[in-house]
Amino acid sequence: MRPIQLGTLAMVLCLAVPAFAQTKSPGTPAAAVDWKAMDRKWLDSEKTGDLNYLEKFFADSYVLVLANGETYTKKEWLGILKGPDRPTILSINPENIQVHQFGNVAILTDHTTIQGHDSKGNNIGGEFNVFRVVIKQDGIWKATGVVMNPDLSKK
Amino acid sequence: MKHAYCLSVTILLIAASGVVALAQAPGRMAGEDVATTVSILDHVWLDAAHNHDGETADWLFAHDFVEIHPGGVLVNKRQQVDMIKDTKLGDIAIQSTDIQVRYASPDVAVLTDTTTIRGTQGESNYSGQYRVMRVFAKQNGRWRAAGAGLARLPTQ
Repeated sequence: MRPIQLGTLAMVLCLAVPAFAQTKSPGTPAAAVDWKAMDRKWLDSEKTGDLNYLEKFFADSYVLVLANGETYTKKEWLGILKGPDRPTILSINPENIQVHQFGNVAILTDHTTIQGHDSKGNNIGGEFNVFRVVIKQDGIWKATGVVMNPDLSKK
Repeated sequence: MKHAYCLSVTILLIAASGVVALAQAPGRMAGEDVATTVSILDHVWLDAAHNHDGETADWLFAHDFVEIHPGGVLVNKRQQVDMIKDTKLGDIAIQSTDIQVRYASPDVAVLTDTTTIRGTQGESNYSGQYRVMRVFAKQNGRWRAAGAGLARLPTQ
């Protein structure tokens, strides 16, 4: 196993050479970001169908992974929210929001409780631990990814 | 053996850093292929998990690393590294396919893949397929894994 790992690391190190050649982006004073407000605004917009906000808040790279593994791009997900098959979200409450920031990317984790149903009336509610990724583009924080995971400890 | 391994990696890193320091030019990108780099790091990550290689995981994971495991359990870097290096938890076979780099910038990359796991660790049976989102961030000139979220795919 060791020779394989060393080989892999050697490849990585070769790739690391150009990486080290890069200059760091100029440091800018970090403006305080109200991550919890961002998280709540995001979810409120999903609930109320504020598509104008979501269109701007979702980066073009946005990808949503639902708890069953179904994956949607920004275009696909906004298309669902705009269309007749949009889910009805009665309530969506994020709790225990935690932030892990790494420069121009931040990972928000939260425990979200959803009550609602899909267009056919099937229950889509539950308790989820959610992994959210936001990136800073041109000075603006945007959502680029979500992975939902059912909180099985609650079952 | 482990000391020799770490020493080799350290020497290579120092050598690479030295070469690159000479090559740096302000405001200029070095044409790094971020997508390729993080795709390889994706495999390094899974190899470390498969081989109980806690040292490589510790090298790869950022200090504030976070992962959501299947079932919704959140773990930090220390917990994840401890799980990886604990041989008593049992072996798991891990393979990733369909790696898609969703976002790449000079200091951030987000990718998704389909990870297939076979085996159990402790009392948890992880066997199955997962849609995984992995986040990488460049810190002090080096790419590190910042976090991952997994969603289990339905059994077919």
